[in-house]
Amino acid sequence: MSPAPSLPIQLVWLIPLYGFGGMVLSLPWASGWVKRNGPRPAAYLNLLVTLLAVLHGSLILREVLTIGPQHLEIPWFQAADLDLRIGFDLSLTNLAALELVTFMSLICQVFALGYLDKEWSLARFYALVGFFEGAMSGVVLSSNLFLSYFLLEMLTLSTYLLVGFWYAQPLVVTAARDAFLTKRVGDVLLLMGLVALSAWAGSLEFNDLYAWSAQADLSPLAATLLCLGLIAGPMGKCAQFPMHLWLDEAMEGPNPASILRNSAVVTCGALVLLKLMPLLRLSPVAIDVLLVVGTISALGGALVAIAQVDLKRAFSYSTTSYLGLVFLAIALQLPGVALLLLFAHGLAKALLFMSVGSVIATTNCQDITELGGLGRRMPATTGAYLVAAAGLTGLLPLGCFWCFGLMVERMAAMAPLFAGVVLLTNALTAFNLVRVYRQVFLDTPHPKTKRTPEVNWLMALPMVSLTVLVLLTPLVIGRIDPSPGIASFSWLTTGLVVASGASGVFVGALVPLDKFWSRSVVRPLRTLQDLLAYDFYTDRIYRATIVAFVAGLAQLTNAFDRVVVNGLVNRIGVGSLASAEALKLGVSGHLQTYVLTVVLAIVLLFSSLSWFRG
Amino acid sequence: MLSILLLIPFLGTALLLLLPGDPPPGRMRAVAITVLSLQLLWSLRVLLAFDPGEGALQMVESLPWVDSIGLDYRLGIDGLSMPLVLVNAALTLVSAVCTRDISQRPRIYFALLLLISGAVNGAFLADNLLLFFLFYELELIPLWLLISIWGGADRAYAATKFLLFTAVSGVLILGAFLGLALFTGSVDFSLSPVLSDRLSMGSQLLLLGALLIGFGIKIPLVPFHTWLPDAHTQASTPVSVLLAGVLLKLGTYGLLRFGLGMFPEAWAVVAPWLAIWAAVSVLYGSLAAIAQRDMKRMVAFSSVGHMGYVLLAAASATPVSLLGAVFQMVSHGLISALLFLLVGIVYRKTGTRDLEVLRGLLNPERGLPFTGTLMILGVMASAGLPGMAGFISEFLVFRGSLPSYPLATLLCMVGSGLTAVYFLLLVNRAFFGRLAITPPTDPARDSRLDVRLAGVAPRETLTTLGLALGVVLLGLVPATLGHLSESTTALLAGLPSLVVASSGAGGLG
Repeated sequence: MSPAPSLPIQLVWLIPLYGFGGMVLSLPWASGWVKRNGPRPAAYLNLLVTLLAVLHGSLILREVLTIGPQHLEIPWFQAADLDLRIGFDLSLTNLAALELVTFMSLICQVFALGYLDKEWSLARFYALVGFFEGAMSGVVLSSNLFLSYFLLEMLTLSTYLLVGFWYAQPLVVTAARDAFLTKRVGDVLLLMGLVALSAWAGSLEFNDLYAWSAQADLSPLAATLLCLGLIAGPMGKCAQFPMHLWLDEAMEGPNPASILRNSAVVTCGALVLLKLMPLLRLSPVAIDVLLVVGTISALGGALVAIAQVDLKRAFSYSTTSYLGLVFLAIALQLPGVALLLLFAHGLAKALLFMSVGSVIATTNCQDITELGGLGRRMPATTGAYLVAAAGLTGLLPLGCFWCFGLMVERMAAMAPLFAGVVLLTNALTAFNLVRVYRQVFLDTPHPKTKRTPEVNWLMALPMVSLTVLVLLTPLVIGRIDPSPGIASFSWLTTGLVVASGASGVFVGALVPLDKFWSRSVVRPLRTLQDLLAYDFYTDRIYRATIVAFVAGLAQLTNAFDRVVVNGLVNRIGVGSLASAEALKLGVSGHLQTYVLTVVLAIVLLFSSLSWFRG
Repeated sequence: MLSILLLIPFLGTALLLLLPGDPPPGRMRAVAITVLSLQLLWSLRVLLAFDPGEGALQMVESLPWVDSIGLDYRLGIDGLSMPLVLVNAALTLVSAVCTRDISQRPRIYFALLLLISGAVNGAFLADNLLLFFLFYELELIPLWLLISIWGGADRAYAATKFLLFTAVSGVLILGAFLGLALFTGSVDFSLSPVLSDRLSMGSQLLLLGALLIGFGIKIPLVPFHTWLPDAHTQASTPVSVLLAGVLLKLGTYGLLRFGLGMFPEAWAVVAPWLAIWAAVSVLYGSLAAIAQRDMKRMVAFSSVGHMGYVLLAAASATPVSLLGAVFQMVSHGLISALLFLLVGIVYRKTGTRDLEVLRGLLNPERGLPFTGTLMILGVMASAGLPGMAGFISEFLVFRGSLPSYPLATLLCMVGSGLTAVYFLLLVNRAFFGRLAITPPTDPARDSRLDVRLAGVAPRETLTTLGLALGVVLLGLVPATLGHLSESTTALLAGLPSLVVASSGAGGLG
């Protein structure tokens, strides 16, 4: 770094603090100390600090574009051979992700003003979103694994609190619990990896870790365990199989948080994995695990999504599915494509969830079998849905089309099987989107959708802005310009991607969607439907295996504690009382006997001591 | 300088006992709080004078006392005892402030509180084995009285159990100290490492074994833990705070100071077994906590689990892990004190601690939203969420121990994951959902919708808020405590590696 970096760059550590500061600023309203004038001021303060974060981020981005990547470090804790630092890597990738995160946060907060209009604990929501945003913006900028872990855990906590926002409802309680525990499992495994890396490699800076991994001398077992631990954390964060349950249940939380979760949070998790990617070459097994997990998540998620009747859940599973594709790209060492897909998916999925949020806010209904005919009444929402759907699938030349093209092209050369996975996922997603579109926006109005005006401007404005942005995604991707260019795939690939998307749309448009027969009467089909609708019964499998195991072990320990350990102690107590009773009878009153006993005891004691001493 | 740390609470005790007439309980409390505030201030004064760069004992004060049996009045402070003295001062003050319902013998209650605080200070500062033992025993009887007079319904059983266990612990420790004199043939009770040129390995192991069990009862480690859940459930909230926050630390302190510090060679021999013992203790405590219905019992079992980390750290005895041990002692002191305070508030407001009964306490208007918020913070800190004291402690312990004892460390990490399970269950059951404080099986009372819990008094909000702030501050700026203790822990870690350097064990991997 030859010239001293400018002030915005030196103050980069402020960026996560904007979000956290927003949380602190909301506290007076969230805790009820300030009751006058309602909770709105907390929301405005949060919007303000988020705006600051966006502006600060873009200032840095502009500067970094001219002077190149920067690196900043602040010592945090140092002891013996341990040196923990707060480090920020201001590379273009990280800053782009930062802009995505902060911008998403900003428009979600505007959207939430409309969506949570009548919510009495609005201030608490904004405090939590501020916390969320602070953690996310730190994760994307961090230059070392320690800080990443630190903030990922904060994300876990804030996800728990956001999902549990309406904590009085029973479903929310289980959803929040599952969200926390599932992520926590991933986090503990990641912590194991982190501690091991810290002990073996010394530094936790990603760059030092890459250098270390190039010449690390680990046993295959240690390397495999290490890498599995490292990928477990992002797996939990990105809701990958088998830790995908929480994202779907998390739909019980407020919708604006769902928007962030499905676009920005999963992106953060995947970015951490992306930063860990060079380490994964230590272990081929971990790569295989990533491939398997990615494939199952991509296809399983897409299939399960099709069988959902809940508007939000239909698309949350699709997030699992797309992140599965990202995992595939990372496992096959295609970081550029993975990033593009994350970006395109993040924008389009956020828009999709906004559109869905608008529908829910207007109709107070999430069951797609009870919705219908919204197309003409809610033009902005419908437009947003259509653009988001186009942005998510590989059919029209919006964001994901180019990503899929690049992915299929590269993967076809390396591992054609996974190119097939991408195409199939594309087809299934297109099918799902068309199916939902027909049920919700086309069709005749239902009792619940007779009066459905367009949403208010606080929701419409961010939605329309994001619609425009999604339409512009290809241009943005083109500006970022991955080597060797965004359109560097053959006509054959283009044909394949378009064909897969079109076939999904085609089947989706033709498949009969009778609401009364939404659960088929044909036995095998019905079994399949149920299997998918209940997410392959994953929750039951969990309950029957891991949950039952831990609960059983806990009961066993408790029983052991009460019966054996405590019982023994009580028995000794009772026994000594009883022996005292018995000894009472042996009291003779002869002084000689007492002296003899004492002398004998002393002699025994000393002889035993001298034996030990020798 | 250090003697004043003993004089303040002891004089306070005397003052309370000698106060003329029949002053109202409020006055007694005010006196106790004043004395304890003075103690805290003087502890801070000692902190200012403390030189963190010096690893060995400093500010040593020495007076020959009973020379013939080697009992000297020698006090000193180092990076191991300094944080604990501060924690002691802070938490005793907290427990005095949060004391309520003191209509019953307030004079004795507060006098005992001060006596305990002074004795604990003495034990942390003592630079003589016998002196340590005196203070160690001095704290026992007052605590027994505090449980057996001001305790819950089943207090007699719990107090007796506590007394017997701790008495055995005391006897074993005294036995080890006297045995040292007997084996070495000199009445030198100073704190210097006993190496094999003075004592054979067999005798060293014997003495260390006695110390391990003696302090293991106090910490407590499985299977000597069974007095703790009972004592906690029967003790009143301030006593629980004191017990968990301060008195358990005597055990880990003793283990580090006298086990590791005095028998480094024997320590290196038994260390692998200690690591396994730690893992067992952690997993056992965590699993047992999952099955508890009583909130206080759950927190008590979590103590069993979390104190196991200290043993793991002590077993590996690397500079990082020993620093982690100090961190874990301090952070467990703060966090468990916070949790016991919060559980105490819940118990007093609702009349129950049963997790099958309590629901929805986070309710903003009629429930305990403030308590609930801090409870979430407390359990997250205890589960090792970053940004709070628990995380950095656990990270240091694990980071320091993994190279020496990978399996035991990984098992302890699983225990850390289990902490999240039981504490999340606690929050989810008691604080989420619809507000209820009576069992759902009771139709007559279950139909009650008019539950309205009274607000929490400032004496409790302020203390809990203070502890919560401490937990967060320590988590965000751990360098403060690290700076304070690092020289001493590095010195301590040097002992076994110095001794066993030739055999190749220990040290960093």
